[in-house]
Amino acid sequence: MVVVFGTLGFRPKSLIPTIRSTPNVDKVVFYCGADKSEANAVKKVSEAKKEVLSYCSAMKLSVEAVDLDDPFDFKSIAMRIRGDIRRHKRAGKEIAIFNIAGGTRPTSAAALLVCILEGVPTVYVHDLTYEEIPLPLLKMEYSQVLSGEEREILRTLSKNRSRRLTEVELASLIGKHKATVNHHLRNLVAKGAVRLERHPSDLRKKVVVVEESTELLLGDDE
Amino acid sequence: MRVLISTFGSEDADRVLQAMRQLPYDKLVLVGDDRVPESDAFTRLNNLEEIAGHTIDFETADQDDFMELVDGVSEILSRHGDSGKNHVVLNISGGSKLLGDAALLAAFRLGVETFHIDDRITKLPILRGATARDRFTSSQVRLIEMIGAQNPVLGDLITGMAPSSKQSAERVVRELKKQGMLVSEVRDCKVHLSLSPTGLEVLRAVRLITRDKRV
Repeated sequence: MVVVFGTLGFRPKSLIPTIRSTPNVDKVVFYCGADKSEANAVKKVSEAKKEVLSYCSAMKLSVEAVDLDDPFDFKSIAMRIRGDIRRHKRAGKEIAIFNIAGGTRPTSAAALLVCILEGVPTVYVHDLTYEEIPLPLLKMEYSQVLSGEEREILRTLSKNRSRRLTEVELASLIGKHKATVNHHLRNLVAKGAVRLERHPSDLRKKVVVVEESTELLLGDDE
Repeated sequence: MRVLISTFGSEDADRVLQAMRQLPYDKLVLVGDDRVPESDAFTRLNNLEEIAGHTIDFETADQDDFMELVDGVSEILSRHGDSGKNHVVLNISGGSKLLGDAALLAAFRLGVETFHIDDRITKLPILRGATARDRFTSSQVRLIEMIGAQNPVLGDLITGMAPSSKQSAERVVRELKKQGMLVSEVRDCKVHLSLSPTGLEVLRAVRLITRDKRV
């Protein structure tokens, strides 16, 4: 099954050309949402959504319209999109393309980020001509820039986010010597993936804090 | 020196103010279209910077072509990074969608720490210093650079890879083909290789990073 992903704002014509130009497409998944305090924006997005749904129905395409609770919450949007892409990949579906032209700025940027992390081909649609502009994207493989130990540390910190671990506690959790963990932590601090903060009750100690985006970086949703 | 670079549009003063409050910096650089310096938002921020004894560095990013925009922002990030002497932090929440997306792509190319600062602050999963080049071995980078924008014959390319053996050079070609970096076609009974659009993007990124390291 071939799936087209997209983000949708006010203009259905920013998404429909991609559905038309993708061969053998079976399913369309698109993300939409508007600032709920702006009645006009909500109305426009709703009309655009109706038009895309009606087009897909006429073309006999399966469709999944995802209403974003908050189309300005970058991280939640990226997590949601990455989860959906991985779900489709696991089910053996081919993700032909992701159209990132529509939707709010955070929605479009979050979609682009996920496409880079997942290696999904991406396309823009020109504002005036509605021509598609394919983006030559790179897949960023974190397995190639993080060592196995670094990934293990990030996963452990991420799973134990609420515990505010010290270096010694972290070393004990992953069963490695404190000096080894210290070496890897220094690399991770230099890469901006973790930071060290003062312990809340013991000024001699520091706690290791993982950046919030780590789940996105590791992409562990299984 | 800490440099805060932010994409910027005429209505983005509050977003950038939020970034200025959250991220420590010594120099503020705004990137936007050529109408931005005339805007009230820009004047407001520039007045604030002047009170602190500084001015804003404004960089124009021409927004006609997406990939040119990516190259433009990459060049700005690279220049202000000053070969690693400065610590550059990027905020992509301002300006048009096109500019924000182009800046994100440029940040991935160059491994620049990046945020999306709005009402919320989101640090994006870009590892500082982890560039597009890190995905490739040195032999793969060498082959990509050798092909460049040309359309060389496979046999000549393999020979040019010396002192690598024929077998290793052929393996590199296979690896890059598998990754979708190369396209081959037969002309006059000879196999010609060229870079795919993704391969060309890698070449652009590699050239930027190499130039950055040489400066």
